[in-house]
Amino acid sequence: MTVFHFFNCAILTFGPHAVYYSATPLSEYDTLGTSVKAALVYLGTALVKLVCLATFLKVSETDSFDPYQELLKALIGFIDVAGLYFALTQLTHRNISQNHKFQAVGLGWAFADSVLHRLAPLWVGARGLEFTWDYILQGLEANANLVLSISLAALGSLMWLRKNKPKTLIPIIYACAGIVATMPSITSYLRRGLGWHFPKVVGFELFTSLLNSRLNTRQSHLKSTPHKKQLQKVKWGVHELGASENMVGLTYNGAALSFYGLAFHNRLVTNLSSPCKHISGN
Amino acid sequence: MPPRKPSDPQMLESVYSVIALFFMLVACVEFCDAATVVDVYRLIQYDISGFPFGSRLAALNHHAGSLHFPPGSDLSRTVLIIPFRDLNISFVKEYISQRQPLGGLLFLLPQMFSFANKDDKGSSHRDRGQELMKNAMAELEQLLIHANIPYPVYFAFEDNDIEAVLADIKRNDATGQPATATTGGYKLVIPVPEPKKIASPTITNIQGWLQGLKTDGDNQLPTIAIVASYDTFGAAPALSVGSDSNGSGVVALLEIARLFSLLYSNPKTRARYNILFGLTSGGPYNYNGTHKWLRSFDQRFRESIDYAICLNSIGSWNNELWIHVSKPPENAYIKQIFEGFSNVAEELSLKVGLKHKKINISNPRVAWEHEQFSRLRVTAATLSELSVAPELLESTGGLVDSRNFVNDTAIIRSVKLVSESLARHIYGYEGKNIEIFADNSSLGVNPFYIRSWLEFLSRTPRVAPFLSKNDPFVMALKKELEEHTDKVSVQHEVLDGIFTFYDSSRAKLNVYQVASVTFDLLLLLVLGSYLIVLFSFLVITTRGLDDLISLFRRPPSRKEEVCDLLLLERVLSRCTRKFLLRMRILPYMIPGKFLEGKCNVSVYAMEFFNRSSKRG
Repeated sequence: MTVFHFFNCAILTFGPHAVYYSATPLSEYDTLGTSVKAALVYLGTALVKLVCLATFLKVSETDSFDPYQELLKALIGFIDVAGLYFALTQLTHRNISQNHKFQAVGLGWAFADSVLHRLAPLWVGARGLEFTWDYILQGLEANANLVLSISLAALGSLMWLRKNKPKTLIPIIYACAGIVATMPSITSYLRRGLGWHFPKVVGFELFTSLLNSRLNTRQSHLKSTPHKKQLQKVKWGVHELGASENMVGLTYNGAALSFYGLAFHNRLVTNLSSPCKHISGN
Repeated sequence: MPPRKPSDPQMLESVYSVIALFFMLVACVEFCDAATVVDVYRLIQYDISGFPFGSRLAALNHHAGSLHFPPGSDLSRTVLIIPFRDLNISFVKEYISQRQPLGGLLFLLPQMFSFANKDDKGSSHRDRGQELMKNAMAELEQLLIHANIPYPVYFAFEDNDIEAVLADIKRNDATGQPATATTGGYKLVIPVPEPKKIASPTITNIQGWLQGLKTDGDNQLPTIAIVASYDTFGAAPALSVGSDSNGSGVVALLEIARLFSLLYSNPKTRARYNILFGLTSGGPYNYNGTHKWLRSFDQRFRESIDYAICLNSIGSWNNELWIHVSKPPENAYIKQIFEGFSNVAEELSLKVGLKHKKINISNPRVAWEHEQFSRLRVTAATLSELSVAPELLESTGGLVDSRNFVNDTAIIRSVKLVSESLARHIYGYEGKNIEIFADNSSLGVNPFYIRSWLEFLSRTPRVAPFLSKNDPFVMALKKELEEHTDKVSVQHEVLDGIFTFYDSSRAKLNVYQVASVTFDLLLLLVLGSYLIVLFSFLVITTRGLDDLISLFRRPPSRKEEVCDLLLLERVLSRCTRKFLLRMRILPYMIPGKFLEGKCNVSVYAMEFFNRSSKRG
């Protein structure tokens, strides 16, 4: 049942994007064009990053953590931020509200990222007879990436599209944006410098993605809405910037905490080699 | 919208074909990335006069099981992995003789028998355990060779990967569930095509001459022949290196050729005998090659052969050798040969016995090589450590016959025995106390030469049908013989028709760890519920609970629409002119919202009617 497994991992990796698009008001306002444009911008950004990495980076023989190289990679990672800036501000979008714009851009960004980074390994690897947990973990990573991208897009829209920003929160916003932008370097440091296994890294990604989304929602509430709307936010069905993020963040919070706990206790790591034992033992 | 073009059906067809191709691509499962890949060697498959023997299938694609399977379970789609240490020969015998259905068999041989194993070679110490294992393996080999097995049988060497896999399988089996498609486990896959017959297998005989000194008056010098067959036959043709049978004979022949070429290089020490060295093939098959080789000589030459010494398995004896003859021991020639050998044997402090076995011309079975000579009236004897004649396809260098059971010193002593007796005969020193090939002299037997050739032969599987016409091994033998002798010639023949062989003797086994179908279905269920939960959450948080419920509510049908419109008409007809005006506008507005399903027309109509009546 190998095509079956491929299908499972594919819907885990790409399903949430489609679900996000159809469930939120994005589908009503037909923001598909925005997402597609954002995906194309991501493609362009990835190509530019590739060229820069190839030019400036040395290929290391060992798999150790080289601070200088990682710093260089982090700097090149900021091209990502530049690309997102371009997608948010420079592209002409139809008259859609800011709320939906950043969501659509973030969604398109995350979808392009998943397709480019995860589709090829999935196609080649998940169809084989051999069973590994890798592709399921990759799918979870794609989910975390989705939340992270949308948070980054939210932060971006806060930074560049909002006209009225309270002075006190600016440094926090920039700090959060910095952390999210350098997430790839952080994960590679964890993997190589500290020697974490893949499940632990994925758990960490999920965990931070929620923390991020919570922080973002809190900030966006404080910034965008006057007092009375904040009170309204508590009710269901408020079409606010923060509410959707909050709820999404909450769901991921629960999932990631449990997953992270599992990974940390090494149960998953030891059971990597024999998933079938669980089933046959039942 | 532009009008539909008439070429659309064609486009649709091409789209369908693209989709079909895509599905075919998706469905082809890749076999390339297995967790463990092991070299395996197949049991030989052959026919004798049409009767099939050996393992009849090569491709394998079944689940793995161990010997601890629950009794009574169906094993027709399971491959049993049997490590040699746990071998219960009676169990295997029963399984094969009762022809019980099985997916396949995989035997794990100890590393000791691997010729790629670099350590502990040449040690002649044999402990009790090794002896028992050797006997058990010999018994298993004979059982497998003479059985007709309708499923694939493979041999592999134990290593860490496959040991780990086997331990896992044993644990799974101990829980009482046999491995099938629904419970997961390990799958063994060997993707090879169906084995084909080897058409016209060639056997190659190599001969070399050492010319004797011809003085005037001699028209034809007498010839003495030294012959050894070099090919083997065993349960696993890719593993049949036959160090003792008959690697030892080949090595001894080469060393004797080297010693006599030293003597014959100088005309002063050249004897008045020709020496013919023959490396024949087709040994296990009733010495077919020797027969064809002898037939290629003309009668005159055959009459000039004084006698022939055939060497067969002289590598693992302690102090007794046998000379097997087919002419009765009272024969003068036989007596002469035997006395010559005995004298030298006494000096070398070893014993030589004489065994006589009559040949039966009508019986096609040829147990010793000298019998082929005897059938053509040439005096011949076989020197061997075996005391009884082996049966067909027995002692032909199979799995058991590996390097660590062969003794270098035994071969050295045999070489000394043969060369001394031969030299005393051709130089006329019979009965005299003279040692021609003394140790540490320039004519001494070279142990390094023997060792290096023995190592080479112990690494080369030599089953004749699998050796091509210009196989590098045959070429190497020819080249070596050319160094010591002259007039080396190679004769290619086709193996006789009663034996038919099939190819595919080695393959790569892929071991996959597969998850069961239940696991995949469970995963699908989990993912489906996850996506549904995610969808519901997003809809609730961004659009409201009402929207979620409205997704599942059936939108009002066309009929209801029409009914409501009729009701509206009736309501409108009762209103005054003022409200008629307003009503005229209203029907244009209402259907839009009505089609959205967001309001109930009758309610609107009633409300307006009430308001109109109020303002009336």
